[in-house]
Amino acid sequence: MRWILGVFPLLVAGACLGAELVVYTYDSFVSWGPAQAIEEAFEAAHPGVDLVWVAPGDSSEMLARLIGERAAGGTEADVFLGIADVELPRALAQGAFQPYSPESIPNLAHVPAELLFDQTGHVIPFDHGYITFVYDSELLAEELIPQSLEDLTRPELKGKIVLEDPRTSSPGLSFLLWTIAHFGEEGWLDFWRDLFPNVLTVTKGWSEAYDMFLAGEAPIVLSYSTDTAYSYIAEGSLRYRVVTPDGEGYRQIEGMGIVSGTDQPELAHAFLDLVLSKEIQELIPTSQWMFPVSSEAELPEDFARYAVIPGHPVSLPPEYVAEHLEGWLSEWQRLLVGG
Amino acid sequence: MALLPLLFLALSFFLPLWQVLSQGLKAEGRWTAARLAQLLSDPYVLHLLRFTLKQALLSSLFSLALGFPLGWLLARYDFPGKEAARAFTLVPFVLPPITVALGFILFFGNSGYLNRFLIGLFGLSSPPIKVLYSLWGIVLAHAFYNAPVFARFVSAAWEGLDPGLTEAARTLGARPFSVFLTVTLPQILPAILSAFALVFVFCFLSFAIPLALGGARYATLEVGVYLYARVYLDQGQAAALAILELVIALGLTYLYIRGGGIFTSRGQVGRPQATVKLFSRPRQLFWLPYLFLSVLVFLGPIGAVIADSFTRPWQGQGPTLAWYGMLFSPAQSPFIGGSPLASMALSLEVAGMTAFLALGLGILVCWALRRMRSVLLEALLMAPLAVSSVVLGLALLFAFRRPPLSALASGPWSIVLAHTLIVYPLVVRVIRPLWQGLDPALVEAARTLGAGGFLAFLTVELPLLSRGILVAGAFAFALSMGEMTAVAMLSRPGLVTIPLAIYHFLSARRFGAASAMATILILTTAGAVFLWEYMGRRLLRGQA
Repeated sequence: MRWILGVFPLLVAGACLGAELVVYTYDSFVSWGPAQAIEEAFEAAHPGVDLVWVAPGDSSEMLARLIGERAAGGTEADVFLGIADVELPRALAQGAFQPYSPESIPNLAHVPAELLFDQTGHVIPFDHGYITFVYDSELLAEELIPQSLEDLTRPELKGKIVLEDPRTSSPGLSFLLWTIAHFGEEGWLDFWRDLFPNVLTVTKGWSEAYDMFLAGEAPIVLSYSTDTAYSYIAEGSLRYRVVTPDGEGYRQIEGMGIVSGTDQPELAHAFLDLVLSKEIQELIPTSQWMFPVSSEAELPEDFARYAVIPGHPVSLPPEYVAEHLEGWLSEWQRLLVGG
Repeated sequence: MALLPLLFLALSFFLPLWQVLSQGLKAEGRWTAARLAQLLSDPYVLHLLRFTLKQALLSSLFSLALGFPLGWLLARYDFPGKEAARAFTLVPFVLPPITVALGFILFFGNSGYLNRFLIGLFGLSSPPIKVLYSLWGIVLAHAFYNAPVFARFVSAAWEGLDPGLTEAARTLGARPFSVFLTVTLPQILPAILSAFALVFVFCFLSFAIPLALGGARYATLEVGVYLYARVYLDQGQAAALAILELVIALGLTYLYIRGGGIFTSRGQVGRPQATVKLFSRPRQLFWLPYLFLSVLVFLGPIGAVIADSFTRPWQGQGPTLAWYGMLFSPAQSPFIGGSPLASMALSLEVAGMTAFLALGLGILVCWALRRMRSVLLEALLMAPLAVSSVVLGLALLFAFRRPPLSALASGPWSIVLAHTLIVYPLVVRVIRPLWQGLDPALVEAARTLGAGGFLAFLTVELPLLSRGILVAGAFAFALSMGEMTAVAMLSRPGLVTIPLAIYHFLSARRFGAASAMATILILTTAGAVFLWEYMGRRLLRGQA
C-alpha cells in the first residue's frame, strides 16, 4: 500500500492537466500497427483528451508489467490492447480487466460470434491471424514442401526448420498447442521427438527466427499465414510462400480490455468502439498483417489473394490450455534438453 | 562522507532488490527455504545450472585467450590507427545481443559470408563451418563480447607499469620471455583476475546470446528466471532462482576478491612504457595468425551488420541507401516512437551523464572501501552486476514508483540513474585494483607535507588513477549506450534510445533499417569513445 503514496501525486497532476487515456500495448502495434491512425481519430473525436501509448515491450512483457504494477498498488493504464487468447485466463484470474458494457460499443455488433473468445465479457477481439509454416521457394526442393505435420519429420529435412520457443513466444506456443490439438495428449510428444532432429534452432521470439530464415539459415520457419502477402505487397516478392500442413494453422485472436479501476471508463469504451470501426479495421491487414474482426471491413485485393486462412483452423479453449499448460511446457522442455 | 554512496545505494537499489528477492524466501507469508530446496531438486534447474557454469567457464577462458594478446598489442606496440583500434575494441560491448546474433548469422551462418566464401573457394557442396546453434557458437559470441574487457584491463595495467623494472631485469640478463613471466605477468595479474571475475559473471548471467545463437536447447539459469517471472508469472520461484544465481555470482566474486588480494602488487607510475613499432622485427610475424583470427571474430560480424545495412534488398532492389533514408524520413518517427536523430541524442546524453555519475559514485565507493576494508562489503557492492537482469528490471520498476526516486520517474533521469547503478560496479572493478596498488607512502608523504586528506587525494592519488578512470569512463559510456533491460522497463513514449529503436525496427520487419540503426550505434559509440580517450590522453600528457 505504500506504493500509492508514490503514484498519487502523478494521478492528481494528470487530472489537472486535462484528461488522458493511457493505453498499454505491445511495441509493434505502435511501430507498424494502426496506432497513429487510432490516435488521430480518437483525439479528433475527443478534443482536449490526450491518448498516450505505452509500448516498450512485447505483448506478454506488457501484460506482466500491467499485472505487476497492479500488484504493486496501481497502474496508469486505462486500456490494455493486445492480449493473446492463451493469456486470457491468467489475466482474468488476476482481475486485470473490468467488464465492458456492450451497449457502449455499437461496432461490436459486426464481430462474428465465433471470434468472441472471452465468454466472461471482459475482453473484445480486434484482430486474428494464423500460425503456420513459411518456406523459401529458392532453397527448398518442391517435393520437400511439408504437406502434413508428419512431413516435417522427414529425415531429408534434418536441420532445416527454425522454430520459436513456446515458453517465450506466441507463435511458438501456438505451434505447441497445434501439435497437441492434432496428435492428442498421447501422441504429441512422439511427434516432437521425431521433429527435434530437423530443428536447426529454437529461437526466443519471432523476429530472430524470421531473420534467420531471411538470411538463408534454414528453408522452413514457423511464422504467420500472411507472410506471402506481406512480402508481395511490401517487397514485390513471392519467394517466401505459406504452406498449411494438413490444411491446418493455429488461430490467434488478439483482444483488448478496460483495465480494472480506470478513472476514464467512458473514454475507454469509446476507444474500444473506435478500434472496431470500419476505418480502423480496414487498416489491420496491411499494418498488423492480421485479419480484421469486423465483418464490415473489406480486404485489399493483393492481401485477399495471398493471405491464407487455413481450411481447418485449429484452436484449443483458453481454459483447457490454462489448466494444462505448465505440465505440457515442462514435458516439452525435458524433451528439448534430451531428458 | 564514506557512508553517503552506501546510503544512496541502499535506498535506490538494495531496498527495492530486497523487496523483489524476499518473495523467494517466503511462502504463504512465512520465511522458508522450501523454494530453494525445491529448485535444487528440479532436474531441469540442475541441468541449467550445470550448463550455465560450463559455458561461462569456457567463454571466460576463450575470451581471455582472445583478449590478452589484444591488450598486449595495445600496450606494447605502435601501429597506424592504434587509437582508432583502441576505441573500436569497445564496440562489441555496446551491441544489443539481437544485433550481435544477426552479425554472427550473417558472417558465420550456413549461408553466411564465411561459408559462402569457403564453398566458392573449394567447391564444396555444404557449408564447412558449423559453429552456430551449438555450445561453441555461444562461446565464440561471448568471446566477441568479452575479449575487449580483457584487452582493456590488460592494456591499462600494462601501460601503468614502471618500465624501470623490466629494464633492470633485462640488464641483469633475463631473457624477454622470463622477464614477462617473472616481472610483467605478476604485476598485471590482478587486472587479469579482475577481468576474469567480471567476464565470468557476465557470461554466467548471459541470457539473450545463448538463446539467440544456441537456441532454447542451450538455455542458461537466467532463462529460468525469465520463464518463472514472465511466463509462469510465479514471482516467488523467479525470486528463489534469482537468489540462487546471485549467491553463486557473489560467491565467485567474494572468492576472487579474497584470492585477488594476494596478487596485488605495488605498481609505481613513473614514466610511460616505451612502445615498439609492430612488425619492426621478423619474430613479430607471430602476430599475423592472431591478427587474422581477431579480424575474423571481431570485424567479421560487425562488418556483416554494416554491409547488411547497404545490401539488404529494398523492395527487391539492392544495394541501396534506402534503409538510411528510412531512418531519417519523418514518416518513420512514429514507428520507433521518436525520430532516429532524437534517439541518437538521447543515447549520447544518457551515456554521457551515466559515465559522469558512475565515475563519481565508483570513485566514492572505492574511497569508502579503502577506509573500511571489508571483503564482504566489496562483494556486496558488486551486486548490481551479479543480479539477474530480469530481477534488476523489476527492482528498478519498483524503485521508480516510490519516493524518493518517483520524482525522477519521467524523463531520461530514471534511465540515467538505472544505468549508473548498473555500471558503477564496473568502475569500481577497474579503479580499485589500481588504487590498491598505489604505494600508501605517496599519500603519507603528501599528508606529512601538510596536505589534507581531500587535497592529497586530488593532487596525488587522482592523477595516478587517471588511466583507470579513463578506461572506466569509456566502459560506463559504452555499457550505457547498449543497455536494453532497464530502458525497456523504464522507457516512456518519446524516450527511445538507439538499442530500443533497433528492437522496434526488428519487430516491425524492417530488418534493413535495424541494421542501419545498428551501424549508427557502432559508429556513434566508437566515435564518442575515441573522442573521450583522445581528450583524456591529451589531458594526461599535458599533466606529465
